Amino acid sequence: MALKREEVAGLAHLARIALNDEELARASTELENILGYVDRLQKIPTEGVEEAAPSAVAAIGFRPDEAIQSDPETLKLIIQNFPAKTGNLLKAPAVFERPKK
Amino acid sequence: MAGLNELTIVEARAQLDAGDISSVDLTRACLDAIKKTDQTTLAFLEVWEEQALEEAKASDDRRKNGKILGTLDGIPLALKDNMMVQGRNVTAASKVLEGYVATNDSTVVKKLKAQGAVFLGRTNMDEFAMGGSTENSAYQITHHPKDAERVPGGSSGGSAVAVAANMCIAALGSDTGGSIRQPASFCGVVGLKPTYGRVSRSGLIAMASSLDQIGPFAKTVEDAAILLEAIQGKDIMDQTTTDAKAFETSTLDGNMPLKGKKIGLPKQAWGDGMSDVVREKVSAAVEQLKSLGAEVVDVDLPYADEALAVYYVLMPCEVSANMSRFDGMRYGYRSPNHGLLDTYLTSRGEGIGREVRRRILLGTYALSKGYYDAYYRKAKKVQKLIQNAYASAFTHVDVLLTPTSPTTAFKIGEKINDPLAMYLEDIFTVGVNVAGLPAVSIPCGEDEKGLPVGMQLIGRQWDEAGILGMAKTYEASRT
Repeated sequence: MALKREEVAGLAHLARIALNDEELARASTELENILGYVDRLQKIPTEGVEEAAPSAVAAIGFRPDEAIQSDPETLKLIIQNFPAKTGNLLKAPAVFERPKK
Repeated sequence: MAGLNELTIVEARAQLDAGDISSVDLTRACLDAIKKTDQTTLAFLEVWEEQALEEAKASDDRRKNGKILGTLDGIPLALKDNMMVQGRNVTAASKVLEGYVATNDSTVVKKLKAQGAVFLGRTNMDEFAMGGSTENSAYQITHHPKDAERVPGGSSGGSAVAVAANMCIAALGSDTGGSIRQPASFCGVVGLKPTYGRVSRSGLIAMASSLDQIGPFAKTVEDAAILLEAIQGKDIMDQTTTDAKAFETSTLDGNMPLKGKKIGLPKQAWGDGMSDVVREKVSAAVEQLKSLGAEVVDVDLPYADEALAVYYVLMPCEVSANMSRFDGMRYGYRSPNHGLLDTYLTSRGEGIGREVRRRILLGTYALSKGYYDAYYRKAKKVQKLIQNAYASAFTHVDVLLTPTSPTTAFKIGEKINDPLAMYLEDIFTVGVNVAGLPAVSIPCGEDEKGLPVGMQLIGRQWDEAGILGMAKTYEASRT
């Protein structure tokens, strides 16, 4: 299946990845090749076949939905890893941006 | 006399127990080997020299007091750079995690610490484990220990080289589509991908969560078994781990009678998709197993040919979801001075490398409205057919045998610009991940340039003992 450059640009936007023109062009060729390969699946008859179950059906299952107390070192490191901070608070860009005039 | 760094876990353990060597001696020998060798191989992203020597010293003290913690006490190991060790850098070889400090221990590291293991450093890999050559690292390209112009395989290339070049006693890697077995094959060491759910993934930086599994690289089959025994087990932090019966190294028998054991050669794998030397060496190994008493039969593994296509739908879908957390907000690289949307776009555009971006885009496409049924749902159905085919084959054979990789180590740069050619390197290994089975790669010869060839033994779910037992018997018959 051929992918137009605009389609790839749309995907890149959905995935929140900035790509320049050269990267977009390269990505469309590469994706086209890979999709061309995986399209062989369309030829496999799967009528009546169930989907593979989530991995490890015999697994231990979910733990209770309860907060787990982290050790103080973990908390310290989480804060240390903030890309920007004020005191112990994470600084993030504003969610609502001033409309452009 | 061989250097201490060349010892196996079993040998090192015996010498430690006898009081002939100390863990500090052993650790220092590995650190010296890293200094000497790793200027050319570039297997390590960071060496924790000071901490490793402290850990070794602590182990020696425990031993003096008769209080050793476990089989791995004082044994120096290397870790792939996607397993968290609290307080130490971990990057998954990505710029997006440059400077990131692990906030807690991964479960495997907790288990190894509980045994008293020594950690030498973190090893290079393809960024977020995406690749088959360790060329996709954002930091450095790792070189094959026998030929610096060639790749060591990937994505766990650094760990494979660290073991092959005796820069550690053993190492851990992770395997989503072949990332332990293929580099093990290229570098001539033992690499095991456990049954999905055998080893906790908590604290492993995720690539494709339904396929990822941590496993050992080792110099011998028994060492791989010892590491597996140490890291396995259910974990409340990973709901896909299970109560399955624990694997026990003590059950392995190097003289396992192969009489009555049936090995299947999947005809889908033994077609024309492999190099002559790989066919020759792996066929010789099959003859060797026959001479040890095993019965060898051809088996039909319908849809096995489709595993790579299934993999290249399911894996990118999971990748696109898992990579969304690297958004420049709470940790990792943030491109400064933008509004919200541009912070996302540029942080990810600048921080995430080409192969990872490619897979995110592919997954975003396959999961988008209008394509979900045609790609994801279809792939999940074919995955079921593949799982059924393996299950049916295992009703009449004990082990399936294939080459690990269609070729020996290729040249740096040879496949990096042709994603599909690179992906085809995984043709024999991905089926195992798609079916959730255990498989081990063991060395079975070398090509005319001295580059190793590996064979893959695939087992029933939870039957690591079966494949490792057979591998150990084969290994013993060659020495």
